[in-house]
Amino acid sequence: MNATACYFVNAMAMKDENIEIARGLQRRDPDLLDHLIEMYQHRLLRYLVSLTGRRELAEDFFQETWIRVLERGRQYDGRHEFRAWLFTIARNLVLDHLRRKHPASLDSLIDSDDAAPLQIPDTGQPSAFDATVQREQNELISTGMHHVPVEYRETLVLRFQEGMSLEEIAGVTGAPLGTVKSRIYRGLSALEPWLKGARL
Amino acid sequence: MNADLANNDPHERARMLIALSGPEGVSNEQHSWLAAHLESCPECREFSENAREAIHALRAIPITAGARLVSATQMRVRQRALELQRQQERVWVVSVCCAAVTLCAVFTTAVFWFGFGWLGEQMRCSPPLWQASFALFSIMPAVLTAILLLARGTHLADRNGASQG
Repeated sequence: MNATACYFVNAMAMKDENIEIARGLQRRDPDLLDHLIEMYQHRLLRYLVSLTGRRELAEDFFQETWIRVLERGRQYDGRHEFRAWLFTIARNLVLDHLRRKHPASLDSLIDSDDAAPLQIPDTGQPSAFDATVQREQNELISTGMHHVPVEYRETLVLRFQEGMSLEEIAGVTGAPLGTVKSRIYRGLSALEPWLKGARL
Repeated sequence: MNADLANNDPHERARMLIALSGPEGVSNEQHSWLAAHLESCPECREFSENAREAIHALRAIPITAGARLVSATQMRVRQRALELQRQQERVWVVSVCCAAVTLCAVFTTAVFWFGFGWLGEQMRCSPPLWQASFALFSIMPAVLTAILLLARGTHLADRNGASQG
């Protein structure tokens, strides 16, 4: 089977999967929701941590997101990828929360300089040299991510941690494609000093 | 995409291409141009190296959801699903009752209308009189219910005020 055929087979399988999810959400099937929560647990939490910058807050939004998925599941038609729809719901929840507290912008999520960096749990890896260097670099990048404006941070997470296409990111964030590209570029540029710091 | 990448500054363009490098981000032609540019530009080469490491580090950041969070979320979702199911059942029962009441009202209104007309003829009443009686008869249950609810509301408010005081 050549690459194009593989692509279409995968695309068809994904479409079928999305339709199945849409049917399950129509029925408010709790077993399906249990499965989805387990399937997307890390990705959703990572995205919410990137948006809020605080693990506790992200965990609250994590639960609220799935409650909203249950309540509004009938709006999901299965024509688009479920992950993008899920992330859009999570993003809107965070925005709604901010609108109640602050002006309607993700800017208000940008933390002050003295705030704690993104909280990264200890991985518990053996303390080999490579692992230590990698962990230090990760910590520096995590700290750097904390200082990157939240729009860029969000786009970087969607692109490089979630592996989303540019169009999908545009769909989730509601930003034009050109803006998405620009945010990726600027986000990586903003992280550059932190990487240089890691090398010193 | 090409419009975004059609930058006059070759370094800016190269950096944009580096940032967007991925399956659908950059064409073969752009990739060749970038490779040639990186050969001759140490600054952009350094940016490329930094970007590669940043992406690698980003992918390695270990943020994971704990088992307790997952099970707590699953429990909350199941509870909410149950609530919604009960709510939906209540809405269904109320809808069926409303439909039945409407149907009964349509039927009985016609029956009572003819009944009042017949009674009016038997008692030799003028049509406005039996029609007014019919109207009064029709609205009487609603008026009685409103009076009862008002009385109950006032009574509850008095009781709450007394218990708070």
